[in-house]
Amino acid sequence: MEQLTTSLAPPRANPKPSVTNSSQQVAGSVAKRLGNELMSLMMSSSPGISAFPKSDGNLFEWAGTIEGPAETIYAGLTFRISISFPANYPYVAPAIKFDTPCFHPNVDINSGAICLDILQDKWSAVYSVQTILLSLQSLLGEPNNASPLNTDAAAVWDTPDIFRTQLMKHYRPVKDAA
Amino acid sequence: MATAALRSQVAAKWHEAFNRLNRAEPGISGLISFSQAWNIATEYLHPYDISDPMVAKKRDLASVKAAFEIVNRSRRLPVMLETFLDDICNQYYLIIRDITQYLAEYEQSADTTVMLRLVFRLVEWYRAWAPIDELGPTIRGAYTLTFQTQLFSVLPPAFVRGFKALCASTLVPVAQHTPQMWEAFEILGLTDRYEGIIASVGYERIEDYVRETCAGKWDAPCLEGLRSWMTEQIVPWMLPMYAKGAVNTEDARGMLQNVGSRFDFHMNKTLCDLRTSEIFDIIIDFPDSMGALQDLKECLQRVDQRASLVQSLRKANRKRLLHPGADTKLILSQYVATIKCLRIVDPPGVLLFKVADPIRRYLRERPDTIRSIVANLVGDDDSGDSLVDENEPIQPLQQLETENYNDPHWDPEPIDAGPDFRTNKPSDVISTLVSIYDSKDLFVKELQVLLAQRLLAITDDNFEKVEKERRNIEILKIRFGEAALQVCEVMLKDMSDSKRIDGHVQSQRASIVHPTIISRHFWPSLESSDIVMPGQFQALQLDYAKEFSTFKPDKKLRWLPHLGTVHLELQLEDRTIETDVPPLEAAFIELFSEKNIWTMDELIDGVGAVDRTAALKALITWIDLGVLKEDQENTFRLLEVTEEAAPAARTAPAAIEEPTVTAAQQQQADQMRLYWKFIEGMLTNLGSLPLDRIQTMLRFAPGYDQTVEQLAGFMEAARREGLVVGRDGMWKLNR
Repeated sequence: MEQLTTSLAPPRANPKPSVTNSSQQVAGSVAKRLGNELMSLMMSSSPGISAFPKSDGNLFEWAGTIEGPAETIYAGLTFRISISFPANYPYVAPAIKFDTPCFHPNVDINSGAICLDILQDKWSAVYSVQTILLSLQSLLGEPNNASPLNTDAAAVWDTPDIFRTQLMKHYRPVKDAA
Repeated sequence: MATAALRSQVAAKWHEAFNRLNRAEPGISGLISFSQAWNIATEYLHPYDISDPMVAKKRDLASVKAAFEIVNRSRRLPVMLETFLDDICNQYYLIIRDITQYLAEYEQSADTTVMLRLVFRLVEWYRAWAPIDELGPTIRGAYTLTFQTQLFSVLPPAFVRGFKALCASTLVPVAQHTPQMWEAFEILGLTDRYEGIIASVGYERIEDYVRETCAGKWDAPCLEGLRSWMTEQIVPWMLPMYAKGAVNTEDARGMLQNVGSRFDFHMNKTLCDLRTSEIFDIIIDFPDSMGALQDLKECLQRVDQRASLVQSLRKANRKRLLHPGADTKLILSQYVATIKCLRIVDPPGVLLFKVADPIRRYLRERPDTIRSIVANLVGDDDSGDSLVDENEPIQPLQQLETENYNDPHWDPEPIDAGPDFRTNKPSDVISTLVSIYDSKDLFVKELQVLLAQRLLAITDDNFEKVEKERRNIEILKIRFGEAALQVCEVMLKDMSDSKRIDGHVQSQRASIVHPTIISRHFWPSLESSDIVMPGQFQALQLDYAKEFSTFKPDKKLRWLPHLGTVHLELQLEDRTIETDVPPLEAAFIELFSEKNIWTMDELIDGVGAVDRTAALKALITWIDLGVLKEDQENTFRLLEVTEEAAPAARTAPAAIEEPTVTAAQQQQADQMRLYWKFIEGMLTNLGSLPLDRIQTMLRFAPGYDQTVEQLAGFMEAARREGLVVGRDGMWKLNR
């Protein structure tokens, strides 16, 4: 912003807190892309998905939140995920894992690793954080049982009662502490 | 028992004294002659009552002199003087009697001639009691001193008042008896003793005169006139007092120098005080008060009253200007006048800086300040007098420059400049006004809003008006820079493009619709509306849109049906009405071509969604024109045949002038909504956060420029709405 102050302007009582000096310099174009994605994600009001950078200094590490879609077995549950963007994003997919233990055929219950085609070989630069989050949300309701990461989960998928019990056994509600 | 030694000592003393008095005359004849001389002398010296004619004695000066001679030779003169002075003290009641009598008379009549007579009377006393000059200056001096000391000790306070009045009475016109009076004062020692009072007479006279002649007269400088008045009136009066004994004018001038400059200072101070008390009105009258300002400038150089001038003006501004009752435009014009006036009084700008500060602070808090300034910049038609002097050259906004110490004309900051004073390069008024805000972006934004309003208000291809706007923008480009006004440029281009496109579309397929086609990204956000134009209007719009998309296949026309005007010709059974109305009115009346009676709700549904107040306003327009009639509450009937105008059942609700363009303030609210999205996002994903963390994280939001205090206020507002909860300085979403 161009400061326009002639000699007459009294100094402002509160100088604006400098919001620009706290960041490490991030690679310009990637940061710009991520900034735009954040903006569009914030402005889109897709229910049940959300993500935000974990700290103001690093635009490459995000925390995300996915709510289980209604009328699925995951309804009413909230899952925290972490998204880690590589330096050559968007040409390479971000690394995503569940922080909240998620009992799901395509999610590793211990590491939180996700088996989703668009996060691996089907990745394309046109995808964005928002599309990833939407895909993950729909993955919750419609798992790909053909290539399970969690075979136990895949095995009991067709018996919702047992699945739900297992799910709730592992699930821990999201805590507020970052 | 006296010893022999003591006895001989006393004898020696006595012998010596006897010899001195007897002056070696035979026997005691010397002693006798001395005692005779003593008697003559003391009787001569004895202070007598001059009002008693019997005592007025014939004096044989020769014998008196001889007597004094003898006394002197016997070296008894000091003793005699002592006796004489004691006598004066003893006899002073005579004088006191006179003084009391005269003062009583004066108190009654308040006539200064009584005082004058008193003074002359006192001189008479003084002269009558004075010893002859032959006794030498020592005795004379001792006498004068005693006489005056006594006099001063007995003069009551009433005398001082009378004395002052007497002095004042001699001032205008300079009275004939003045020289004698001054002489009398001098003899009695009054001049020295009451110098302060005499001077205060002069000061008061000056004050009165300055107030009489200069108060409220600001068009011409007064100082010159006052100076010559001083020379003509006050100086002659001062002459006998301060320049006594001057033999020629040179001499007198030298003597008057000191006191004269004191009087001159006082005159300056009085004028300065007067102007200081009037300064607010002087500024209002500017430029007709030029003279007063020149005076003030000159006075301030002589008198150190700058601080009080600042104080007085600040106080007046606070009381008379910076309150909710004052129009922003008025405050601005007074501010500009203040700038101009104080530049004259104090070119370095220290005074201005101090006075301007509260005004600028106040203006910054007013919501419509920017709008007023911008309206003035573009020369809004309704603003009578422009803030900007037309003669002022148009120049780019001036930026604050760091001090250039290599400048040979560099001056240090004035001595009374505050620590945050910034060297004031005389800049133009607009720069100063714009600098009220930290950024000119606000102005540019407001300018766009204003321009949008004005462009959209232009109807009927009134291209002259567009040209006028273009000229305005060209001028403003010089001030704000080309880049800042690029958006305005696009808006103007849209106007001419609209005309061109319309020309083309019309040539393909004539239509009565003449839209203004604007680029959404470059225009300020326009208030959107959900009106759907019914009937033939919709058909017209669709036709036009089709033709437009053939001409510009990559563009899509999105109608803003609520903007614009419609020229209508209504053909009713018994009459034809022609009128220009806003689109909503047109839409309603179009609906009436389907059936004659509509309820309010039906009408609102008929045009999509519209605010009830706006709908009512539109309907009342027709009722006023005698086209519709409200039969029952909220039911309207078309009057195919004129009815006797029943008195309007409803009066139009206070016309809500709906701004078609979202004002800058509204845009700020939109901005805050955007920030809220970000806050919501971060709180969702990161849990609870302290305020400063939120503040730093908000840098991800484009254009975030709020201070942490503003953010705190915002969060507090969100808490009140139940959106967030704050505990121990941590904020989290309320869910």
